[in-house]
Amino acid sequence: MKTFKIEHRNSDGFEIIDLYGELDAHTASQLEESLKNLISDQKSNIIVNFRELDYIASAGLGVFMAYIEDVRTIGGDIKLSNMNDKVYNVFDLLGFPTLYDIFDDEKQAIKKFLSDS
Amino acid sequence: MIAMGEEKNQSHSTFELKTVIETSRMLVESRDTDFVLNNLLLILMGRLLVTKAAIFIHDPVEETYTLRKKKGFDKLEEGAHYTFDLGPEKNKEPYFEVGSADKIKPENGADLQNCFLFNLRTSNNHHGYLLLGPKAIRTSFSREDLGFTESLCIISTAALVNSQLFTELTNTYRNLDRRIHELNTLFDLSKEFNLLVDREKISSIFKFALLGQLFIRTFFLIYKTGSKYTLLTSSGAVVKPTQKQINSIFLEADEDILVVDENLKNQHEWIKKSNITALISVTIQNERVALIGVGERVNKVPFSESDYNFLKSLANLAVISIQKTFFLEERIDKERMEEELSIAKAIQEGLLPDPIPEIPGIDLAAKTVSSREVGGDYFDIAEAPDGSTIFAIADVTGKGVPAALLMANLQSMLHVLLPVEITLSEATDRINNIIHKNTPSDKFITFFWAKYLSEHKILRYVNAGHNPPLLLRVDSDEFVELTDGGLLLGAMETFMPYVQTDIQLNPGDLLVCYTDGIDETMNKSFEEYGTERLKSCILENRAKSSAEIMDGIVDSVKRFSGNVFSDDLTLLVLKACD
Repeated sequence: MKTFKIEHRNSDGFEIIDLYGELDAHTASQLEESLKNLISDQKSNIIVNFRELDYIASAGLGVFMAYIEDVRTIGGDIKLSNMNDKVYNVFDLLGFPTLYDIFDDEKQAIKKFLSDS
Repeated sequence: MIAMGEEKNQSHSTFELKTVIETSRMLVESRDTDFVLNNLLLILMGRLLVTKAAIFIHDPVEETYTLRKKKGFDKLEEGAHYTFDLGPEKNKEPYFEVGSADKIKPENGADLQNCFLFNLRTSNNHHGYLLLGPKAIRTSFSREDLGFTESLCIISTAALVNSQLFTELTNTYRNLDRRIHELNTLFDLSKEFNLLVDREKISSIFKFALLGQLFIRTFFLIYKTGSKYTLLTSSGAVVKPTQKQINSIFLEADEDILVVDENLKNQHEWIKKSNITALISVTIQNERVALIGVGERVNKVPFSESDYNFLKSLANLAVISIQKTFFLEERIDKERMEEELSIAKAIQEGLLPDPIPEIPGIDLAAKTVSSREVGGDYFDIAEAPDGSTIFAIADVTGKGVPAALLMANLQSMLHVLLPVEITLSEATDRINNIIHKNTPSDKFITFFWAKYLSEHKILRYVNAGHNPPLLLRVDSDEFVELTDGGLLLGAMETFMPYVQTDIQLNPGDLLVCYTDGIDETMNKSFEEYGTERLKSCILENRAKSSAEIMDGIVDSVKRFSGNVFSDDLTLLVLKACD
């Protein structure tokens, strides 16, 4: 089991958050911190890359629910990419695909941002 | 000719048989209702050269038919509900031509002339109808056409039932998956909450789990401590409520689950503005301790019974953990208080003379027993600059910390006045004025003090409302009560000087000063120990040393009360020696 970790990088003007390990009740607040910081810096084109994330709990999903509207209000979006099947299944189960763009690959998310603007 | 015709017929039948077999294989493997229905239509239309066809699925609850799929039939609408008004017994036929008496309602002017209806059925149940339009080439359906269609209908109906079952199973499986996920969430959080003592963190994790699991954005949690209601956390569209609004919604929404209606919205403007759709009470051990408000689900799917159940379970977990943090804080406060009290006790003990000083010509013993950590009893023995000795005993009204503070105040005054050259009477006047000025009107001190002039063996005393010390002369069995002085301290400003009185002490004379903890101690039948018992105890022990007399009194009081002290008790015993 990998320990939870958040890495942040910038790719062509898009804020990319890489998640590692397990995002659960315990680690959810760290993701909240990252999103809050981006929002307060008015950085709103956010892609969360789940490639290295093994597990997500409801509390993790809740963080996305809590901040999506804030991000969209300042004209951006949170797009999600590179989920493994287990993680995607949880998102799907709770109805998230109706509210979020979820892509197989980060590049598709960037493309969507570019075509939307 | 006949032979050729038979050959053609035969190859035709073979083709049909092949179609039926291929179709059946394809259909049976398919789990997609839409695919099954679409195929049925396309195969038939291609094979029979028909330009319009439609499939109606029976809804046994509503007794209507839903048009699930159609080609042609512009007047009919996919997804709309229809009823069939057919001639008697027709629904038992495998198929029949639509006659002028047969109606599909609402009619909408659909042309049903020369159309056929095929009963879609399995061996037990009727599932719907296939409506097949006339052939494009204007010939009527042959017997083979009808037989072929009937077979295909039977196979397709079986496949249809299969695919519906599969869809149902998939849904069930998905629901099960959701339940498992909910359980995991509960399990996860119960572990997490157990480790947490930070109320804000618990609230925030609870919030996120709820937002994620229920797919909502708007939420608040009001928590009740004592008779106070606090908004612990909120999210999404929640408008910050005033304390009054918090109180009123908590008191009003006293149902288990309250779905917000127009009436409630009109009464609670902020609930309306916050887009709250349901209010859920959390009850622990018959007490409503929290109220949770949730907004609608982002995908508009209404909350189910099981959603509410999940919410309540999660809320229970969170609220119990939040309660735990409050209990913990109370305990920490209590421990801090106890620690402070034990420090106060040490300070107070430091204010009493220890060891008891030796006074020439006097056998002296004194002690105080506190019923609490700190108390309001006081005694003192101090040497004045003129070589005389001051004895004092006092009792502050009330108990505990307030009494102890006043006692400390008295102690410092006494020591400040000690080197000042004034009479005992004047000193008492001053102390009374200061105590009166500095303390609330319901706080008093009963105070007895005396100055012993060893050269002349004179004891000069002032009694300010204290239990009269008992003087037992060496040659008498009668007690003299030392009552002279004045009012107790702090009651009012000194307007009549305190009276000081001298008594001569002869060797063997015994003086016992005590506080009301001695005479007012009660036994189990609520009788007071009283001064008579005290006097006989003193008489019994009069031959002994001061320390032994003192211990004798304490033991006697202890025995009388069954070792229960509700008040502080203090004794100061002095016996004149040769």
